[in-house]
Amino acid sequence: MAKKNSDCQVIVVTSGKGGVGKTTAVANLSTGLAKQGYSVVVMDLDIGLKKLDLILGLENRVIYDIVQVIEGECTLRQALVKDKRFPELFMLPAAQTRNKDDITAEQVVEVCKELRPDFDFIFIDCPAGIEKGFQNAIAAADKAIVVTNPEVSAVRDADRIIGMLESADFRDIKLLVNRIRPDMVRRGDMLSIEDLIEHLCIELLGVVPEDSGVVISTNRGEPIILNDKSSAAQAFSNIVQRMQGIEVPFMTLQEDSFWGKLRRNLGFGR
Amino acid sequence: MAKVDIKGINDNLVFVFSQGNAEEYMAILTKKFETTPQIFNGSPVLFQGEGLNALTQQDISALQRLCLDHGMFMHNVHNPARPAKAASDDLFIYRNLRSGQRLHSEGSMIIWGNVHESAEITAARDIIVLGRLEGIAHAGCYGDVTRSIFALNLAPKQIRIGDKISIVPANDSKQAQPEVAYVEDNNIFIRDYRPR
Repeated sequence: MAKKNSDCQVIVVTSGKGGVGKTTAVANLSTGLAKQGYSVVVMDLDIGLKKLDLILGLENRVIYDIVQVIEGECTLRQALVKDKRFPELFMLPAAQTRNKDDITAEQVVEVCKELRPDFDFIFIDCPAGIEKGFQNAIAAADKAIVVTNPEVSAVRDADRIIGMLESADFRDIKLLVNRIRPDMVRRGDMLSIEDLIEHLCIELLGVVPEDSGVVISTNRGEPIILNDKSSAAQAFSNIVQRMQGIEVPFMTLQEDSFWGKLRRNLGFGR
Repeated sequence: MAKVDIKGINDNLVFVFSQGNAEEYMAILTKKFETTPQIFNGSPVLFQGEGLNALTQQDISALQRLCLDHGMFMHNVHNPARPAKAASDDLFIYRNLRSGQRLHSEGSMIIWGNVHESAEITAARDIIVLGRLEGIAHAGCYGDVTRSIFALNLAPKQIRIGDKISIVPANDSKQAQPEVAYVEDNNIFIRDYRPR
């Protein structure tokens, strides 16, 4: 494993509400960073409801899981699953037959401590909710990415989560808005990025548009970031660049409305 | 010789019991209560002293009942030197309050930030939000209806002042401006803020 940076960033991806795209974000951002040559490990802490292995297309390669590591049945190295596309990307699978109470926050911190020297990025895929699973997931992290959708229920949960992260002394919390539909925002049928930022008072990491390709790529186990033509892939790539400290302008609605206008003018209006 | 010293400390009457038994204390107190009822009636009372150690729980209860029968009420805090509420009870918050967060002030509460939807704030006195108030705010939470709630942008889900509760009309989408909520004629009203 070649590690690019001397330090390691442990990033928890969380949301409160389920189904907003936490695992999709983890799969795409980790793949994107691995593609750039960073050593990345993703930890699935959604014990009992694991999905990350599917989205990364690694379900057939899973042998051991994090609970077995913690209980000493196998070593951490044995449990790490190497990605089939990028040799710098590893996954630590969740146990499907156990539940969130089978591990403690201290144990997760220990596992992270062992991983830190060998990796540039450790992503923690947090389960939905604010209970034990959430507490386990945030315990070891230095930074947090809060994923939300532009709808009031997801935004309320995100607000709650940000409050809990602030209480847990997180200084670096960024927002990822997933599944936005510029056409609906333009019509005033969906919360805009400005509304979200004004409401949540938090720094924006990226905006990922709604893209039907995500479902296809999830089903195939191939993160969409590898598909250059998709708008979601472009958005995830931009976020990957921002995570490396490169400033990339946000995909704005103006751009979209320009293309939308063009499309309408050419007679392809929706 | 049984003895009960009675001191007045910070509006409380402190009974200091020293060496004796329950019957003796009962006799002493009954006599005192009957000779000068005006001193005891309506006063908060606190028991202290080593004499209490020799008494059973029933004895102490009997003494307390005697006090209650003579119009006193029991002060259950052992430190009679509790200072009157000071201005330092006011709570200053320099951050946003988010959904699910809850804060209480024994004085007023001043928030340099927003109070998000589903956050809850309560204060014994006034609430001042130098930002947007979208959560639930309760001023005068011990029943004081003379208190008010101020916000630069008053858009709460619910406000309470004293025992009055008001919910805000759903389609209240006017421009943000400083507003004050207050109680008049048993109802909560909201008006634009004007300096006095």
